[in-house]
Amino acid sequence: MKFEGYRFRRYLNNFIIYFILTIFGLVMLFPFMYMISTSFKIPSDTFRYPPRMLPRDPVTIEIAGYDEPLPLYYVQVDGEKKQYALAKSNIKVGTYAPADNLTATVEEYLTEVKPTGGATNQQKVEVNGKEEKLFDVEVDGQIIPMILISQTTVGEFVDLQNPENKVFQNVRLSEPVENIGAHPENYTEVIELNNMARALTNTALVTILVVIGQLLTSVVGGYAFARLKFPGRDTVFVFYLGTIMIPFVMLIVPLYQLMVLIGWTDRLAALIIPWIFTAYGTFLMRQHFITFPKEIEEAALLDGASRLQILTQVLIPASVPALATLATFTFLYAWNSFIWPLVIINVGNEKNHVLTLALNVLRGRASDTPNLILAGAAIAIIPPLIVFILGQRFFVESVASSGVKG
Amino acid sequence: MAVPSQIDSQTNLILRLYVFWRILFALLAIFGALAPWLGYFPVDSTWLKGGLTLALSVAAIFSGVGAVQISRLHHSGRMISLILDYLSFVVCTVVVLNTGEIFLGIDALAETFTSGLPFLGIAIAGYFLGSLDEYFPQKEQTSESSLKIVGQWVMLTGFILFLWRVGAVNGIFYFFGKLAQPLGIISVFGALIFGFAIWGMTQQKIAYALHAKNSDEQIINGWLFLSPNLLGFLVFFAGPLLLSFYFSFTDSDAFNTPNWVGFDNYARILNIRFAWLTAPDQLAREVVDIKIYDEVGRFLIGNGGILFAAADKFFWLALRNTLTFVLFAVPLSVIPALVLSNILNSKLPGMKFYRAIYFMPSIAAVVGISLVWQWLYNATIGYINYFVTVGIGFWNNLFNLAVVDPKIQWVSDEKTALLAVVIIAAWQTMGFNTVLFLAGLQNIPRELYEAATVDGAGAWDKFWRITLPMLAPTTFYVVSTTTIQAMQVFEQVFILMNPPEGPNNSTITLVLYLYRNGFQNFQQGYASAIAWVLFIVIFGLTLVQFQRQRRSSIYEG
Repeated sequence: MKFEGYRFRRYLNNFIIYFILTIFGLVMLFPFMYMISTSFKIPSDTFRYPPRMLPRDPVTIEIAGYDEPLPLYYVQVDGEKKQYALAKSNIKVGTYAPADNLTATVEEYLTEVKPTGGATNQQKVEVNGKEEKLFDVEVDGQIIPMILISQTTVGEFVDLQNPENKVFQNVRLSEPVENIGAHPENYTEVIELNNMARALTNTALVTILVVIGQLLTSVVGGYAFARLKFPGRDTVFVFYLGTIMIPFVMLIVPLYQLMVLIGWTDRLAALIIPWIFTAYGTFLMRQHFITFPKEIEEAALLDGASRLQILTQVLIPASVPALATLATFTFLYAWNSFIWPLVIINVGNEKNHVLTLALNVLRGRASDTPNLILAGAAIAIIPPLIVFILGQRFFVESVASSGVKG
Repeated sequence: MAVPSQIDSQTNLILRLYVFWRILFALLAIFGALAPWLGYFPVDSTWLKGGLTLALSVAAIFSGVGAVQISRLHHSGRMISLILDYLSFVVCTVVVLNTGEIFLGIDALAETFTSGLPFLGIAIAGYFLGSLDEYFPQKEQTSESSLKIVGQWVMLTGFILFLWRVGAVNGIFYFFGKLAQPLGIISVFGALIFGFAIWGMTQQKIAYALHAKNSDEQIINGWLFLSPNLLGFLVFFAGPLLLSFYFSFTDSDAFNTPNWVGFDNYARILNIRFAWLTAPDQLAREVVDIKIYDEVGRFLIGNGGILFAAADKFFWLALRNTLTFVLFAVPLSVIPALVLSNILNSKLPGMKFYRAIYFMPSIAAVVGISLVWQWLYNATIGYINYFVTVGIGFWNNLFNLAVVDPKIQWVSDEKTALLAVVIIAAWQTMGFNTVLFLAGLQNIPRELYEAATVDGAGAWDKFWRITLPMLAPTTFYVVSTTTIQAMQVFEQVFILMNPPEGPNNSTITLVLYLYRNGFQNFQQGYASAIAWVLFIVIFGLTLVQFQRQRRSSIYEG
């Protein structure tokens, strides 16, 4: 009996654990799901309330007598919900009544009603102390002057089988018939709208060059720190360590002036060269190389190998996980950086925009089409996610170890 | 010291050449040091001229010393010679690359890069093809396997086609065309000579003649290996850092020569006044000089209060907002992370999957994420208000209440604007912190928990008495890195808010204010001063946490 209780408690425990984890997981994933789904929607769908996850398309249908396919709506006919096609929208309907009997209302198209006495000399009548204009309204073949009480906009809905059957009702309050359907062309549209293709190329190029450059300088620097004895090494290393925590914004002003001096403002080089030499990458590689057994290296030295040969032929092939980690870190940093490109690349120089800058421009340019904005955001967000999924085996582990050692 | 008998005549000649070369170098350096003052310098900046003169004078002196030491066959002569030649070689190479517009050519590469991509793909495919070889070991180990050779050829062809497609041929012609001017030719020539001088110095005969030891080779290799990183680091990090300190004492505007203004920038930031208020709604101009001071805020005590006014009101608003942001964003991203990591640490299946999911937000670009949240926060159609409405409706139905739907205007209401930013930041950093905590947890020895179980400790006791104290170093790391990140909050507010200062300056942050000053008003001296104040605040916060961690972590080994 006691055993059973224990098992039940363990199941309950596990259930609670997975429940909490799943809730948090949904919170973490939800903005991504929203981004993807919205980026496949049509604009009118994005502004719908309440919001829906799956993108939908209004259904249209060909009806004899109309040139273009008509959108389908649900309409109330004789208390029944039926699918009708919207043949005409924006029809203005006025509610009219004779001045002496305001309850006897008549509905009529605004276009079918003419002012009493002609447009230039319209007759007026006083109702409840206010002057109202009179219109000629035809009722059962008779023309009666009436005043306009209110006006609404309706659509003309036609029966699918019998287009002569018409129903008028407010279009905005009617529920359209929809299919689930995605619009991947949002992506091509946003790429054309905002020079996103160029921004994507620039970002890729900048990121590739920064990753390669940083790997090169960090590997040789880290090797020197970890394995070579020379006077001044430890001083320099302490100096490096001390600067790791210094926030980048400290440098932004003098670095900008340096770029002005050497003429790199507005140039992609300014996004690449300063980021190749980092204390952090060197530190990371040093921490890795220092764990490497010395004996292998000494044996190679005895065989007459040079330091560079040892590094390229022994150490680097054995350091793929560490290199992958540094590459992933650098990739993410270079791909996602915003404030430095914002400062150094002119707003007008769209040729040299990176994705984050393009998004900043897009935000203003497409402020009324969230589907396009979020398609742009997806273009910027998805490549790092792919890199993460590919490299996560190395990456997550090493983020973890950086914390423990640091 | 010198042992002439061991040196053959050829080596002797080379050494004499080196002495001559060092003297020539010293003379050229002296000429170079004087040249800017005689009008041979394109940029009219006293600082640059002074710096160049100083550097070249030092080089000249060292070169002279080097000449003497080489003639004495002392090893320091070799070291000096190598260092000077190496640095000159680097300078010449950079000048060559710059004159040939290699750095600016990256822009041109970006233009053609896309058309070359398929070929780059072929090159990469070739690499993978070659590495497939490892999975199909051949029986004969003597010859290189055909797969590897094919892979190499495919890689090479792909890369050449790639270079051709992106216009490398034109690029090379352009490069040499640009080089054909005096500066370019001189620096190519210089690079060759310096390279040759270095090569000569590293020859064994010369090294022996100058009494080189084995440990000297390690010293040379060490500095050589470190040099690419160190030189770049000095130019793009350490140098600018010092410059930033200097700028904070000037009125620099990025384009004109900065004037020294002493502590004026800091004085403007710190120029604040406190004044007693006799009534809660007393006007600011009755208690402070509003020609200088603006009201930042007031703390009401009973019938009176204290008015806080500052010469630069926006700085203090920014500081207040930033600290408020840190105060909320750090606990909100650290405490749930601690809880989640403890849950994830249970040895159930699927934990790695959850870990990866939690990690995803911290990978995505902040700019993109902020755009997504901007629409989530939308007051009329956004999901967040929809969830609030649904939640309140459910609550009202369940308990028969009449709670009114607040319809929060997240980003346009000054009360919630900063909160909106806090939520994004907490959402984005939580997963990263979870992974850090998880690693810390996995380092706690199992035995501690087992011993505690034997002693009859419950789960709660274990958490408070083992997990938390043992996790203290990780907690310190997590809290301090999160704080440092949070102090620099910029991108979220810049994208989310329109204007970025938010309604009634409720989301102006220090970095945003720095950006406004430095790059929109171009008061870069003042912006540098703000940067240093920001740094001092960050440093202070980290120091406080470090002290606390020291005091509390009794278990740390």
